[in-house]
Amino acid sequence: MAKRKMFSLFMALATVSSILFSGCGSQSDNGKVVIELVHYKPEAVRYFEEVEEQFNSSHDNIELKISSPNDAVTVLKTRFIREDNPDIIGIGGDFNYANFIDADILMDISDFDGLKSIKQTYLDIGENLKFVPVKGVYGVPYMSNAAGILYNKDMFTEHGWKIPETWNELISLCEEIKNAGILPFYMGYKDTWTCLSPWNSAASSLADAEVCKEVNKGNTTFSKEYVTVAEQMKALLKYGPDEPVAYSYNDACTAFARGESAMFMIGSYAVPQIKTVNPDLNIDSFVYPAADTKEGNLLTSGIDLQFCITKDCPHKEEAYEVLRFLLEDENVQAYMDNQNALACKEGNFNLAPIFDGMKEYITESKVTDYQDHFYPSEMSVDAMVQTYLLDGDTESFLNKFDTAWIRYNRDLIEKVKNFEEG
Amino acid sequence: MEGNKNGRGRTFLLITIPIVLLFFTFNTLPLIQGVIYSFTNFRGFGSYDWVGLRNYIDLFQDARVGASYWFTFRLAIVSTIVVNVISLLLAMGLNSKIRFKSTLRGLYFLPNVLGGLVVGYIFNYFFTYILPEITKMLGGNGGSMLANTKTAWIAVVVVCAWQAIAMNTIIYISGLQTVPEDVYEAGSLDGATGVNKFRYLTFPLILPFFTINMVLCMKNFLMVFDQIMSLTKGGPAQSTESISYLIYNNGMSGGQFGFQSANAVLFFVVIVAISVCQMTFLGKKEEQL
Amino acid sequence: MGKKSDKNVEKYNIGITVLLIIGLVTIIFPLYMTVVIAFKQPSEMTNSMKGLLSLPKSFSLDNFREAMRVTDFWHSLGNSLLITLVTIALSIVVHSLIGYALGRNKSKSKFYNFIYLYLVSGMFVPFAILMMPLVKQTSRMGLSNWVGVVLLYVVFYMPMNTMLYSGYLTNLPLALEEAACVDGASTWKTYWTIIFPNMKPMHATVAILTALGTWNDVMTPLVIMSGDHNTLPLAQLNFQSQFGTNYNLAFASYLLALLPIVIFYIICQKQIIAGVANGAVK
Repeated sequence: MAKRKMFSLFMALATVSSILFSGCGSQSDNGKVVIELVHYKPEAVRYFEEVEEQFNSSHDNIELKISSPNDAVTVLKTRFIREDNPDIIGIGGDFNYANFIDADILMDISDFDGLKSIKQTYLDIGENLKFVPVKGVYGVPYMSNAAGILYNKDMFTEHGWKIPETWNELISLCEEIKNAGILPFYMGYKDTWTCLSPWNSAASSLADAEVCKEVNKGNTTFSKEYVTVAEQMKALLKYGPDEPVAYSYNDACTAFARGESAMFMIGSYAVPQIKTVNPDLNIDSFVYPAADTKEGNLLTSGIDLQFCITKDCPHKEEAYEVLRFLLEDENVQAYMDNQNALACKEGNFNLAPIFDGMKEYITESKVTDYQDHFYPSEMSVDAMVQTYLLDGDTESFLNKFDTAWIRYNRDLIEKVKNFEEG
Repeated sequence: MEGNKNGRGRTFLLITIPIVLLFFTFNTLPLIQGVIYSFTNFRGFGSYDWVGLRNYIDLFQDARVGASYWFTFRLAIVSTIVVNVISLLLAMGLNSKIRFKSTLRGLYFLPNVLGGLVVGYIFNYFFTYILPEITKMLGGNGGSMLANTKTAWIAVVVVCAWQAIAMNTIIYISGLQTVPEDVYEAGSLDGATGVNKFRYLTFPLILPFFTINMVLCMKNFLMVFDQIMSLTKGGPAQSTESISYLIYNNGMSGGQFGFQSANAVLFFVVIVAISVCQMTFLGKKEEQL
Repeated sequence: MGKKSDKNVEKYNIGITVLLIIGLVTIIFPLYMTVVIAFKQPSEMTNSMKGLLSLPKSFSLDNFREAMRVTDFWHSLGNSLLITLVTIALSIVVHSLIGYALGRNKSKSKFYNFIYLYLVSGMFVPFAILMMPLVKQTSRMGLSNWVGVVLLYVVFYMPMNTMLYSGYLTNLPLALEEAACVDGASTWKTYWTIIFPNMKPMHATVAILTALGTWNDVMTPLVIMSGDHNTLPLAQLNFQSQFGTNYNLAFASYLLALLPIVIFYIICQKQIIAGVANGAVK
């Protein structure tokens, strides 16, 4: 009796499943080359859907399939394990990318003609990410973002506050805002990664761009290089909420959107989230003024999205065709409008208003990469910074930074050493 | 009769072997592979080198791993006690003669239906905005439990317990219903009431269910992951990093797959040892009664 | 326990009832928050207690509609249902069988006792260590699909369910089977006609435990299934990116995902609790 019940249940399920999962499986062979693109920006899914449609309607020989999975880095890693690599991957210019190059997963695309149209700054940033200077280009920088300080423009105009250009001016501005009874900064340090936003901004101007590499070579230590960065982070705490570690990134966005603070140290990527809470908020940004002179400041900007071709991709030419299409000016502009991003391509693109205050740095390419793109994620530098902000002990924090760095980068340091020795 | 017995033995074997094979294929085999990775510096993809026992040696020198064991065990022990006490009381309440019995039972079960991630998000709001305001009203300093390294783990206990109590209550209710009325009748003739009745009549009879609950609780809490992910992400100041969280975060998301495999192997050994002790101890108790 | 010494069977214990109803606050309050947030618009969110607990401006179903669109609700629901139901069905059949084989033999046979401990210890293998090897293995076996996910669930829940079934079996005396045996029925047949139906309460418990675990699981389908066959929890990841989470939509979606399992529980509840009394032959 029970068996029969089970059996009929199975039959029913089997029928359902055949309906649900039909359509899965290999492509119908219509003679087209299928190019699969997997990227890690699910928030830009609408843009990519449109690209996919336009590309396919204008190309007879290639079929582009784009997927925007959630948690794409995990998905990509499982695809690599399965040896089921997508043709093109869209990832950020960060530690993962360096790892993928090191693991020999990506194709050298130095012969791709589209590279000529990319700003040299971003090509350099991409080059610099490699653990050791291996030959070749492995990614086409597509979009970048910028981090600094977002501010409530209406609030600033109302009180006549001036945009600070040096560290001292920033502090006196904070005092002024505080005296006006307004909270200068909101902080969402419960989400540890947000600690890295001011950290990166400060480090961009105060520490050398190559500091991690120099440490790997044994030429310097973080205890020497990061003192001012750490001190600035600590100094800003008193201009934030009472318990910055209590609030998450989302909470901070909400608070800033509702005018609970004048400024927010975060990247341009936060704007869409802020606007969901208050679409009418007038936001602008300025570069985090870490240095003592205006000239000493650099804008923190890194490769937010780049396209790489996997090594065993059998259709290199077709993949290049997809990249060319993505790099067409109107598609670049569409992405920028859609995601408040900055193009890595040369050209006269319209910048989102959020970048008004950073324009000078962007056009003059006075930019440098996020330092955390060189930190291995398992070292959890973000959590270490959060710990430091809670206990405030700069010296022990930096010592811990140095020891942890050596511990987590042991194999890499070894590799660098072997490379240097030839 | 004799032939029947042989047939019975064969049937048992025929049932056991394919199922054990299935289990071996999808659990033991990958585990063995994981153990092999624990002797490498595998990142999760690409090439790797053998590093011998380095990962295991590192394991005992890594302060972060040590802290995660301390946090996880403290959490598991406290939560297990809290959950079992509350759910036993709740089960007795829900099993007594009350009005709206099935509605109440249904409602008390609801927390278990929500996934661990969802519960974490809800309680995030509670701990960040509601509890501090309430404590402030009561004259406290209005600090958030989640922002304090001394109290964050208690918040995790609350969330874990809130969710786990439901299932344990159900199991205890099932247990209580196996206690026949006449036991109580016999007991009340002997003058057993209140605490004594529970201790000498009810508890021994539901001991098997107690064993199941203890083991389930310990297992679930030692492997706590979802709640950490959604509630604290290991913070503040890395004070709530559970072992599973560390293994996933650094092994899967990060590039420490080999090292965290070694951690997982150690964790497995520890947890099996504990459970064997627990089950032998409780099993002995069961036999005594 | 209250004082039930008076033999008046019809009388409800009001004291306990009241206490239990008061205790419900701890359950209702977080759920109330979920519902309120699910109905609000992001612009209604404020960072204060009052803002969180106040009723939404309007109880419009927009969030739910949008959540259903974003998650491709019916399709994802179908996938989730399929995976969960097949897992439950297989678990009940497979785990009760192995629970029976081990439960009847482990106390007198070293071999079966070893198998029992071997299976149960599988409960404590952290999933993270199995993940990478499993991805590779399932893909080689052509199981990077829902069938693979179901098989893995059957294996993952085997330790716990085997423990539950073989534990429950001590409630079913051997005499039950022996009677049938004398009539000439084989062990296999006896199992299906006598033991399996008698374990009904445990089936319900196993079903609900397994269902809860699989219904809310993200990790297994995320790493095992390739392609874009989302389950509900997978689709719900859509609400979250590093640079922003729409909790209003997310909570609306969680409530939607809650419904099937609540219905399932309501169906099972009688079995789980009330059934135990009938099942237990003491």
